[in-house]
Amino acid sequence: MNMVLPRFSVQKSLAWWPAVLLAALVCAAVFAPVLAPLDPDRQNLLGRLKVPGYESRGVTYWLGTDELGRDILSRLIYGARISISVAVLSVLLSGIVGVAVGMLAGYLRGWWETLLMRLVDIFLSIPAILLAIITVAVLGPGFFNVVIVLTLTRWPRYARVAYGQTLSVGKRPFVTLSQAMGGSVPRVLWVHILPNIIGPVLVVATLEFGLMVLFEAGLSFLGLGVQPPTASWGAMLSTGRNYVATAWWIATFPGLGLFLLVLSANLIGDRLSDTIGKGR
Amino acid sequence: MSLLEITDLAVSAGDLPLVDGVTLDIKAGEIVALVGESGSGKSLTALSAIGLLAEGLDVTRGQIRFNGASFLGEGAQDLGQVRGRDLAMIFQEPVSSLNPLMPIGAQVAESLIVHGVASVAEATEAAIDMLDRVGIPDPKRRAQQLPAELSGGMCQRVMIAAALISKPRLLIADEPTTALDVTIQAQILDLISALAKQDGTAVLMITHDMGIVAEMADRVCVMYGGRIVEQGAVEAIFTAPRHPYTGMLLRTIPRLDHPPKQALFAIPGNVPSPKNWPTGCRFNTRCDRKSGRCDAVPALTGDQHRTACFHPLSEA
Repeated sequence: MNMVLPRFSVQKSLAWWPAVLLAALVCAAVFAPVLAPLDPDRQNLLGRLKVPGYESRGVTYWLGTDELGRDILSRLIYGARISISVAVLSVLLSGIVGVAVGMLAGYLRGWWETLLMRLVDIFLSIPAILLAIITVAVLGPGFFNVVIVLTLTRWPRYARVAYGQTLSVGKRPFVTLSQAMGGSVPRVLWVHILPNIIGPVLVVATLEFGLMVLFEAGLSFLGLGVQPPTASWGAMLSTGRNYVATAWWIATFPGLGLFLLVLSANLIGDRLSDTIGKGR
Repeated sequence: MSLLEITDLAVSAGDLPLVDGVTLDIKAGEIVALVGESGSGKSLTALSAIGLLAEGLDVTRGQIRFNGASFLGEGAQDLGQVRGRDLAMIFQEPVSSLNPLMPIGAQVAESLIVHGVASVAEATEAAIDMLDRVGIPDPKRRAQQLPAELSGGMCQRVMIAAALISKPRLLIADEPTTALDVTIQAQILDLISALAKQDGTAVLMITHDMGIVAEMADRVCVMYGGRIVEQGAVEAIFTAPRHPYTGMLLRTIPRLDHPPKQALFAIPGNVPSPKNWPTGCRFNTRCDRKSGRCDAVPALTGDQHRTACFHPLSEA
């Protein structure tokens, strides 16, 4: 009998769980208003620091309440929005800037190469936290300023990968041929180089995504990120730290959220880099 | 009038001269073969003509005129306008010369789209026709495929299609068949000459294979050590070569009536590297007719059949 049955393999099904987890967290972020049981910013000073499972007037606080009596579960779900959207935006922006700079430097060579790649070196030499503090001091804290800080600090990483890949792809005969066809610089870069370097760039972007989540949490933890009362995992960790001895749940759940989000992004990145190769 | 006129071209890598005073012209519709060993400067000559010299290589002297317009120095025209339109090139490695992530139809259509000659839809249509002309079966389906799904010979056909789709006035073919096996070689060469004849395209064929030259070319230029040593009509070169190097090159072609178990003829010695080029005639280190005069540089003399040698094999 040669029936076509879906083959079940433990390893293959395990390989999917980071993607499933990431998808679940993204869904939580996107559908936060539907999924969150309560208003994340509604305070209840009488129900402060209640343990997970606490019930009051027919409402269950599944993950407990924080120091202002706000529902931790709802804040967690809304906090995922901040973490994921900051990470996605900063990965996109720094990726676009970095890849453009790297491709130009690697393709045009000569004078451009020196100028752009030394600029990359300069940016790499500035400590991220220092740059963050300067930016916040100038622009003030807030969602978009966090994205700007992360873009400013992270684009050189993409530039380096794109630069190296462009150097090697640019030497391949089909690039010369497309020049021989009269293709302009933007066209050669867009049509011939970009598709051939995008794999390693995607690997970096996936790994960077996890890092961006942590950076955002770190900035919010330091008070340089998203400002209260907006729920952010980093800020929740920061306030929860003061109550760790008495109310462990305030800091634990956002920490767990961060852990799972970063872990799933990194596992996907690792798998991508195994499949695509190079790029790290 | 000549279509491509190269006058006294010199190319160097820093201080190192690689091409030294090459003069060459190609008339419309003519097939010219540029012959020589590796390192003789034949590819560099061709790459200079299309303006695609690799980084670190520069044209240090000379004139290149295509279709009457100058490409070098003052008043030089923008090559981008001409490349892919009037002047096309095919390379020796068909597979790596195609973008691995782009369907072949789109790559064939590329020069029409780049130069804005046709809309994307028209160009795609034209690309399918062109694939059909170069003998790719089921071109409509093949046009959607990626280079990895095609054989080397097929890829070379695709490259020829991409080069000839805009009906260029001149096609530069840099060893178009070296990467292919012999049976495919003949097909590809026939294809290039047939298509060139149909569209009136001139061809500059770069090769080290004298067999290809005899089969295809109208005229031959033999290069050695960055200089042209002999040029003339293909019959003249093959029946009465004048330069000793050309003579030896012809003797290296294996023949069917060669006595078995005897060594094939090889030119003694190696091509000197550009760092150690001898003064005077560059072939004087390997030549069996060398004399004291050969320490001076021989001029390329003659009318139709030109040679740069003090002791030619046969007199003009």
